Amino acid sequence: MQNESIIDPKIIEEILKFSKNIIEAPKLASAPDEINLEVTPHKVVQQIDKTRLLHYKPIIETKHKTPLLISYALINRYHILDIHPEKSWVRNLLEQGFEVYMLDWGTPTSMDKYLDFDDYVNGYLDSSVEYIKNQSSVEKISLQGYCTGATIATVYTALHSENVKNYIATAPVIDGWKDTTVISNLAKHMDVDKMVDTIGNMPPEFMYYCFSVLKPFEQGIEKYVKFFKNIDDKKYVDNFLRVEKWLGDTPPIPGELFKQWIKDIYQENLLIQNKMHVGGELIDLKKIDMPMFTQVAVGDHLVSPECSMPLHYAIGSNDKTLKIYPTGHVGMIASSFSQKKVLPEMGKWLAERS
Amino acid sequence: MQSKSSKNSAESPKDMTEYYKHLSLFWTDIIHLMSSKPQALTSIGPMRSFAANSKKISVELIEINEGLLGFNQYLTEYYKQLADVWGIAQKKVNLKSPKIPQDVEHIEAVKRIWIDIFDNDFTELFDSKKFGENYGNLVSKELELTKHWNNITNVILQSVNLPNKEEIDEVYKEIHSLKKRVSKLELEKEKRKNAK
Repeated sequence: MQNESIIDPKIIEEILKFSKNIIEAPKLASAPDEINLEVTPHKVVQQIDKTRLLHYKPIIETKHKTPLLISYALINRYHILDIHPEKSWVRNLLEQGFEVYMLDWGTPTSMDKYLDFDDYVNGYLDSSVEYIKNQSSVEKISLQGYCTGATIATVYTALHSENVKNYIATAPVIDGWKDTTVISNLAKHMDVDKMVDTIGNMPPEFMYYCFSVLKPFEQGIEKYVKFFKNIDDKKYVDNFLRVEKWLGDTPPIPGELFKQWIKDIYQENLLIQNKMHVGGELIDLKKIDMPMFTQVAVGDHLVSPECSMPLHYAIGSNDKTLKIYPTGHVGMIASSFSQKKVLPEMGKWLAERS
Repeated sequence: MQSKSSKNSAESPKDMTEYYKHLSLFWTDIIHLMSSKPQALTSIGPMRSFAANSKKISVELIEINEGLLGFNQYLTEYYKQLADVWGIAQKKVNLKSPKIPQDVEHIEAVKRIWIDIFDNDFTELFDSKKFGENYGNLVSKELELTKHWNNITNVILQSVNLPNKEEIDEVYKEIHSLKKRVSKLELEKEKRKNAK
């Protein structure tokens, strides 16, 4: 009897509280499906195939002449840049007096399996740039690319430098051989020809698998435990559900585009070596000669800093800035930190050149 | 042939598969040849077409069986890798925190240790060449199985006079190519208009 361990009553209390939180969760939190992720008002000003060009309604009078076009990633949707009024990348830029456009790549279907880099760069992105130039009566625009959207924007900027006044690359996927993430390890060993030939587009299920191997225990278990523990915290719950909804909404990637991306970036690493071809033209990063701002995050487990930073050194521009932030891939664009540190620094840099 | 195959079948699973493949093809072919004329007389349209294509389905099913062998091999290795790392990580946790937690703070501390060790060890596995290679092969085998299933579906679609995957792909490719040509022409037209 003496050896019998005594259970701390706090443990029982914690278990009961946690159970109560789980039971009460549906009363306290919205279902992800009920949450609207389109926070900042905007108009769809151009639609080509499944892509849409969004123009955000100004919050204050536009202070800077050069409009900014954001080329969002191919993975998940642009909503992360406008996820919450207090953490919205777009809203912050509007508040700084920029005119902001966003290119939504839409949801490709089987019919789009032959869309390739050429279509995305010289088709959709170029059409958006031309539209903005005409609407704003400017000869050049500012371009920002995020993640894989920055790969597309980088290729575009190298091919059409005459259209880009300033280029901002946020966590760009550039040097696949230097990428130290789990994603790059999977990409390097993938038979992408067989995948595209058999399935067509890159299926969302494959992307979910890639997400599930990133910190599987922190992201797969602890994250949800924390959610139920904090179910009374309205702000925390709202933010959590918004990000969760965003994470769960992955469109397919057109087969040919995915094939070229995996082969040219991760397997053969052609872009950084100036050996990649798009639409029959060689991509020479030295042709990126306009002011450029590169943002990378030390804790980025999707695109490691080693994968992004080589772009800063490869371009031809003399006016270039590299910023390294102590945060992660999403933290760099949708967090209190991005609002306090990343965006003001970027806005200041861009304002001086717009 | 029979005695040789029977002898071989006892030697290895691959030979056994070859034997059954031969056996199946032999009877499918013979039955197909024997029945083709009476079938032609008695059946019309889609069912006749299906009968003519049934051999293709047999071949695909046999190859699916072969593919499953390889798939299972990589799948076993996949779970083995996960299980091995789980075992090693759990031992590390036990070493770092040998006592059973008795209070809330201690439970939290052990949980933190558990998550950190497991995340680190599993990330190391997912980042390794052996995992990347095996996972690549596993997906590749899964795709091969899907391809066979696609081929079977194609035969069924053909037998009911519906377009199969390859034919639809051809249409998609043509549409894509046409769209590109139209865009280029529009651009050219715009340039000429501006030049005037």
